[in-house]
Amino acid sequence: MAVKILSVDDETDLELLLTQYFRRKIRNGEYEFFFAHNGLEALQVLLKHPDIAIILSDINMPEMDGLTLLTKINEMRIPSLKCIMVSAYGDMDNIRHAMNKGAFDFATKPIDLDDLQLTIDKAVEQIEYIKSAQKEHAQLVDIQADLSVAREIQQAILPRVFDLKIKDPGAVDSFASMLAAKDVGGDFYDIFAIDDHRIGFTIADVSGKGVPAAIFMAVSRTLIKATGLQGVPSNECMATVNDILCGESVGSMFVTVFYGIYDLNTGVVSFTNAGHNPPYILWADGTVEQLKCSCNLVLGAVEGIPFTSESLQLNSGDALVMYTDGVTEAENKNHDQFGESRLEAELAALKGADSKQIVNTINAKVKEFINGAPQSDDITQLVIRIK
Amino acid sequence: MEVKITTDGKETIAAFIGRLDTLASQEIAPQMNELAEAAGGTIILDCSELAYISSSGLRIFLSLRKAAAEKGGKVIVRNITNDIRNVFMMTGFLNLFEIQ
Repeated sequence: MAVKILSVDDETDLELLLTQYFRRKIRNGEYEFFFAHNGLEALQVLLKHPDIAIILSDINMPEMDGLTLLTKINEMRIPSLKCIMVSAYGDMDNIRHAMNKGAFDFATKPIDLDDLQLTIDKAVEQIEYIKSAQKEHAQLVDIQADLSVAREIQQAILPRVFDLKIKDPGAVDSFASMLAAKDVGGDFYDIFAIDDHRIGFTIADVSGKGVPAAIFMAVSRTLIKATGLQGVPSNECMATVNDILCGESVGSMFVTVFYGIYDLNTGVVSFTNAGHNPPYILWADGTVEQLKCSCNLVLGAVEGIPFTSESLQLNSGDALVMYTDGVTEAENKNHDQFGESRLEAELAALKGADSKQIVNTINAKVKEFINGAPQSDDITQLVIRIK
Repeated sequence: MEVKITTDGKETIAAFIGRLDTLASQEIAPQMNELAEAAGGTIILDCSELAYISSSGLRIFLSLRKAAAEKGGKVIVRNITNDIRNVFMMTGFLNLFEIQ
């Protein structure tokens, strides 16, 4: 596309000179010239042709002079529009004034057209650079907008209302939160009724962060829920999901998962831990204990491997606190970590608290601890408490 | 994070020095691709000076193991510290590699 150049001069001899000197470029469609004879006319031409890239303006003109025109153009705030000022030789005051007002460059009369050609080339180069930067910026704004939509979708697939369709909905009190470090995260949790007396629940952490982790998270979460809803034992559920994920894992992505099934009739949680941080039990009497788990491999790493399941008896007032390493590895500005012992102490202070209080208090304590340091990992908790 | 790769023809040794977090994992990716080319033989991952490993770091180890499984080689993890051993234990990686 032709570079559009607007020449502004009250003397018409420059028009002839320019069209003559640049005739080849005009004929080849490289340059297209427009002419105006004072600042006002120039603004009118500019309004009609907003894609003009370069203005070549005299300083001394009737009606509106070149310096006023320059001021008006600056007010339009078009970074890709460049002004080259033309002035009498030795008119250093006006030239300095124009440069201070943001002129791109200047030429002195009589105009050396070879030199003007170089100046135009230089301006074109900068304009192209600015335009490509603007384009990249627009693309980034687009991606950012997509990411905020992705964030909404991701938060929407995590349950926020914890009313389960079980025979005694008041028997279990549960709450969870996922605070993503970036727009979207790789952590997730889920809780669902398998039948009228069993609840399936899970907390998980996908390796890596950002969009790839978020996509893998969505796949993992859906597979676990779909398999879990069939009512299979926790270890079978993990083995099935693992085999499917192994077939779909790109770049050796994997996910650490804790999956449990709580039976209302017996108060027993049967669970399988696939490489995830062992949860804590906050017993009704206020003691805090780390759940002993066998160390199964993470999901998505090796196909066809078996998983073990274990069980835990919960009674009224006992809570199972599940979390991801974003909680314990949250760092303050000195790179100290929140750590397991701090988490244990905070939990011990939460004797008798309900699941929402536990989740919100731990989140607040972590926030207080990191004290404004940037969050480097997703922070996720899921708490189930027997009433 | 620094990785020193040496080879004596039979074995390729990669020594990890520093913290293998998400950012470091991205930085050393080209070196790891190079290392994966030796996956037909024996690769030794020397972790004596590995201070920390994130899940992205574990992915790198897993990728090497997969490459070795495809090419008929093996990956040995050597000299892990207690902290790293705990991470390996929790994630089940301890059973995935030969540990020396």
